Amino acid sequence: MNNNKTTSIVLGIMCMALTIGICIQIRTVNSYSTIKTGQNYDQNNLRAEVLKYKEKYENKIEQIEKIDKDLEKKIEQATNDNENLEDAQNQIKEGNKLIGLTEVTGEGVIITLTDSKLDATTALDPSSLVVHDMDVYYIVNELKNAGAEAISVNGQRIITTSAIECGGNIITINGEKIGSPFEIKAIGLPENLANLNRTGGYLEAMRKSSVGAELKKSNDITIPKYTGIINYKYAKSIE
Amino acid sequence: MEAKKQNKITLTIILGMACLVLVTVMFMQFKIVNQTDINELEVMREDELRTELASWKAKYTEADAQYQERQQKLEEYNQNEESQEQTEQLVQNELKQVDLILGKTDVEGEGIVIKLQEVSTAEAGITADNLNMIVNTLKEAGAEAISINEERIINMTDIVSVNEGTITRVNQQRILKPYTIKAIGNQNYLEGAILANGGEVDNLEKLGHQISVEKYNKVEIPKYNKEISSKYIK
Repeated sequence: MNNNKTTSIVLGIMCMALTIGICIQIRTVNSYSTIKTGQNYDQNNLRAEVLKYKEKYENKIEQIEKIDKDLEKKIEQATNDNENLEDAQNQIKEGNKLIGLTEVTGEGVIITLTDSKLDATTALDPSSLVVHDMDVYYIVNELKNAGAEAISVNGQRIITTSAIECGGNIITINGEKIGSPFEIKAIGLPENLANLNRTGGYLEAMRKSSVGAELKKSNDITIPKYTGIINYKYAKSIE
Repeated sequence: MEAKKQNKITLTIILGMACLVLVTVMFMQFKIVNQTDINELEVMREDELRTELASWKAKYTEADAQYQERQQKLEEYNQNEESQEQTEQLVQNELKQVDLILGKTDVEGEGIVIKLQEVSTAEAGITADNLNMIVNTLKEAGAEAISINEERIINMTDIVSVNEGTITRVNQQRILKPYTIKAIGNQNYLEGAILANGGEVDNLEKLGHQISVEKYNKVEIPKYNKEISSKYIK
């Protein structure tokens, strides 16, 4: 009998806890929805529009990828029995790797930058505790100097027209927003690329201001291709 | 005894049902919360949303144009399958496009020319950092081809200071003052970005350097003058 009582009490408490949990959830959701409906109609419309275009864009990119594969097949077929074209074909393949239109693998280094865990209020200059767009820019520039052949930042391939823009708490590369932690991958001779870790180098300076900056070598790095479109509207080759 | 057993069974069933209802409600809630959380879009303000929308629209239009172009290309291939000559032409065109983006060809188009004249009495000299900032700003504004003192900026170009900042190297090649930076792209965008208040050109002018920015309908930028090859990427 006593046993029964204890179980009932435990069960009662559990049920109460669950009910309270649900009530809290309902309240949160409700207050959230009121905020949402309280905003003007325009904003909700805009949001829907943005989502719509984003989706449309992603679909188009998928279609383009598919058609690209078809094209590649066609070109391969066409070039199969033509030595001249085979050479051109190889040059196109090699070129696409370098301009960032194909995924590449190889040996190299991975650099990870993380914002400082120190309390910002204790620092003289709170701005020195976070990773800035320029930090990423200079590290990419140093990697190029050390002979990197392909670089990506948080999965965004660096191509010839890639800018690294500041956008407040985040940075923008290739029009995509990315935030800390930043993972910079580079393919090239690992010994040369690891030189960025040298005494007096940029990474060491970052570590001194207590920002996380780690470099590790790897034999197997995969760098994704550029997901957007490279299309020059203004620059034309001079024949 | 029998009644006690019955009691126990009823109790278990009731408890089981209660638990089920609670769990179901919780899952429903989780789902609603998930739905409402459509990434960061929710917290954006109206003007932010407008810029976001404009940028996605532009991206979409561009993607669509590219899609049409590729489809046309594919059709051309299909039509010309028989003719060796025409396929050759198509592949050569493709190669030309790759070479253009790689920086293996001389290019021309509308754009701007920036001349940086270092003034010796200025508070600080013009460094590789300044050049890096300017190049990054030009890329932000959509520059398609850039050169500094006729050194073409390609994907893996580095701009560094060596020897305590006295020597500036672009593509591992020493470049000398004064610096002339050329960029091809929408001339108004490029000029606007480069002359922005608080931008790098503004900073250099405040330091006391002489800087000129001119728009041109035709800017010529030379090709990258070394071999472009890769050893480590597969």
